[in-house]
Amino acid sequence: MTAVPQAVQQAAAAPPARREPRGPVRRRGPARLVPRTAAARVRALAALVVVALAVTLAVTWNAVADARHGMRVIGHDAGPQVVATSDLYFQLTDMDAQLANALLIGGSQGLGATRAQALARYEQNHAKAATALLQAAKLADEPSENATAQEVVIALGDYERLAGQALLLDQQFGHTAGPPSQRVLDLYRQASDIMKLDVLPKAYNLTLDNGTLVRHTYEDERAAVRNGVIAVVAAGAVLVVLLLALQVFLTRRFRRVLNPPLALATLVAVALTAFGAVTLSAQSAHLKRAKEDGFDSILSLSRARAIGNSANADQTRYLLDPGRADTYEQVFLSKSQSVLYLKAGNLAAYNDAVQRQRGRTGFLGFLGTEAAQRGIAGQDAALAKVIAAYRTFQADDHRIRGLVEAGRRDEAIRARLGRTAGSSAADFAAYDGSLVKLVQIHRDVFDDAVRDGDGGTRHWEWGLPVAGLLVAALVLLGVRPRLAEYR
Amino acid sequence: MLAWTGASTRALARRSGAACAALALLAAGGCAVAGADGDSVARKDELVIGMSPDKPGLGMRTGSTYSGFDVDVAREIAKRLGVPAGKVAFRPVTSATREKMLRAHDVDMVIASYSVTPERKTQVTFAGPYYVAHQDILVRRSDTSIKNVRDLKGKRLCDVPGSVSFPRVTRERGVAAVSVKADTYGECLTKLQSGALDAVSTDDLILAGMAAQSAKDGGAPLRIVNAPISDEPYGVGLARDDVDGCEAVNKAITTMYQDGTAAKLLKQWFGPVGLQVTTTVPQFEGCD
Repeated sequence: MTAVPQAVQQAAAAPPARREPRGPVRRRGPARLVPRTAAARVRALAALVVVALAVTLAVTWNAVADARHGMRVIGHDAGPQVVATSDLYFQLTDMDAQLANALLIGGSQGLGATRAQALARYEQNHAKAATALLQAAKLADEPSENATAQEVVIALGDYERLAGQALLLDQQFGHTAGPPSQRVLDLYRQASDIMKLDVLPKAYNLTLDNGTLVRHTYEDERAAVRNGVIAVVAAGAVLVVLLLALQVFLTRRFRRVLNPPLALATLVAVALTAFGAVTLSAQSAHLKRAKEDGFDSILSLSRARAIGNSANADQTRYLLDPGRADTYEQVFLSKSQSVLYLKAGNLAAYNDAVQRQRGRTGFLGFLGTEAAQRGIAGQDAALAKVIAAYRTFQADDHRIRGLVEAGRRDEAIRARLGRTAGSSAADFAAYDGSLVKLVQIHRDVFDDAVRDGDGGTRHWEWGLPVAGLLVAALVLLGVRPRLAEYR
Repeated sequence: MLAWTGASTRALARRSGAACAALALLAAGGCAVAGADGDSVARKDELVIGMSPDKPGLGMRTGSTYSGFDVDVAREIAKRLGVPAGKVAFRPVTSATREKMLRAHDVDMVIASYSVTPERKTQVTFAGPYYVAHQDILVRRSDTSIKNVRDLKGKRLCDVPGSVSFPRVTRERGVAAVSVKADTYGECLTKLQSGALDAVSTDDLILAGMAAQSAKDGGAPLRIVNAPISDEPYGVGLARDDVDGCEAVNKAITTMYQDGTAAKLLKQWFGPVGLQVTTTVPQFEGCD
């Protein structure tokens, strides 16, 4: 116990090396940096404490800034904007679906849906798609993405021109429900091909690109926040050790039991570090929840919704255009499989597998990804409803195709377009509604996580400087009277 | 000083770097950047690309050089990833070895008429597709009786064991075609020319490659029916979870279509045999 102060006293009592720079007492290595007088040592330790305090405050400030930036981009900025554009694909597919409906219905009334209704929905979708497209173009941050956005606008213009011609021609030669004239069909095929091959892939790729922006921010900021936790703990630990060293030096040197202001400063430093680390860890968790349980699932299910809607339209096209029925049946299968994948070579086998599918494992696709996610309140029940409704929709599809193959096309069209329960249109609407509810669960998770994240870093911009000033003031308060003894 | 708001991601990366430096001084702590996989094809200086060695028009090895549409696409993607032609090596892969070689990092990417399927997606990450091929039918040009898959009823159709193409017509489509066995699609081609069978059905790009090969060899003129019966999205296989690489490859494919390179390559390899190719960018699978 006494060895250290004695050594210190001896060192202090030794003649300053400065006087005899070449003398044998000259200390070597790091020891040269240790000040020789007690006052100088107190000052040096106090200075180190201030530096460590500044570093702790800086790394905490930094990490909190990272967490806030991440939360702002994902929760308030690009995140919600990307979510808004994710409906673009849905609106575009629905435009083509409504065009097909209008052409299939013709002048027929009393089918549950009329041509005018289909066209009104077409226009609504068009307006929404234009808004989403503008938003997506604003989010584009690379030349290739800008070019993609521009190409979508141009291709959509081509589509609308052909759609307009098809509708006009179809109206001139009115018909009852069923395939329209060959000239109308040719125009519709051209329009639908542009939608399928040009507009939709680019719109989809554009929203994928937009999602990339959010992913990069998330990964960068979450890594920064997690590194921030380590940095805060490390810097805080160094600060506390230095405060303790100063405490020990002062109490021994001046034979006191405790330096109360320094002890208080140490407590504040410990609290600051612990609180910083805990808050940042929580922020990292909020970011993760917002991104993985919220944002990612919303996007993935929006895609499932859009592709499902497009498959539903392929059912209409199958009835509309007998010449291409095989192709439309095949794309219906491949789209269905991307929503809920079960291995099956043809549509009949797929429908069979879907009807036999029970439970929430054993399938892939968008719904498979969703099923793999667990631990979100209400998700289980909502997903079960989605799968049950999907099963009904697929069963309807099987029935419709059976009717067509049996030569009962008119019945098939009624089974497709009718409004009553049991019609494919109504059952698809029920499926779509259940999917929207599932999306809403993830939207709630997202909003919650963002709210928690915003709340978690509130007041830090003044709390941190105040805590810093408090520690600095306490150190000064603890050290000044002791230094005064040397004056 | 340090901004609470408005900092760009790049500035943040610099700042967290500075925080790491401060930390290293204080506690010699590690500062690995999470999510930055050093193995990503987005950051490689050289690339080993898995390629089919035996598909004329797509990936064909003659001696030590490869040629075909897949080969040119691979070179374009490598170039757009910043890897010069001299640093790109090709290695033959088969449908049995593709996933294994990607997992073992024997190849950095696979571009070998590799269809994206949900099962394969559980094992590898797919960028692209760079093209959506379709199963179609190849017949002798003189044969006008086959206009779609249903017309294959009663016709002699090439049946390569292990390939899904024949069962897709007979079992899945329910068309009663007559099986004529062949070990490879090369043998199918020979038999089609000699009249030992009536039709070959597989991916249209493979059929187009065969037809072009046949024209070059002076065989009987052939015709692609242009009646697609499936979608085969040809993806770029990458090691699982190489999301950065996947995004970089998708960007390369996007620009390849935007500047007309893809259209040029498709016309160059498949135009002469009358295949209707799609020259607009395919819908990507997404990287996560």
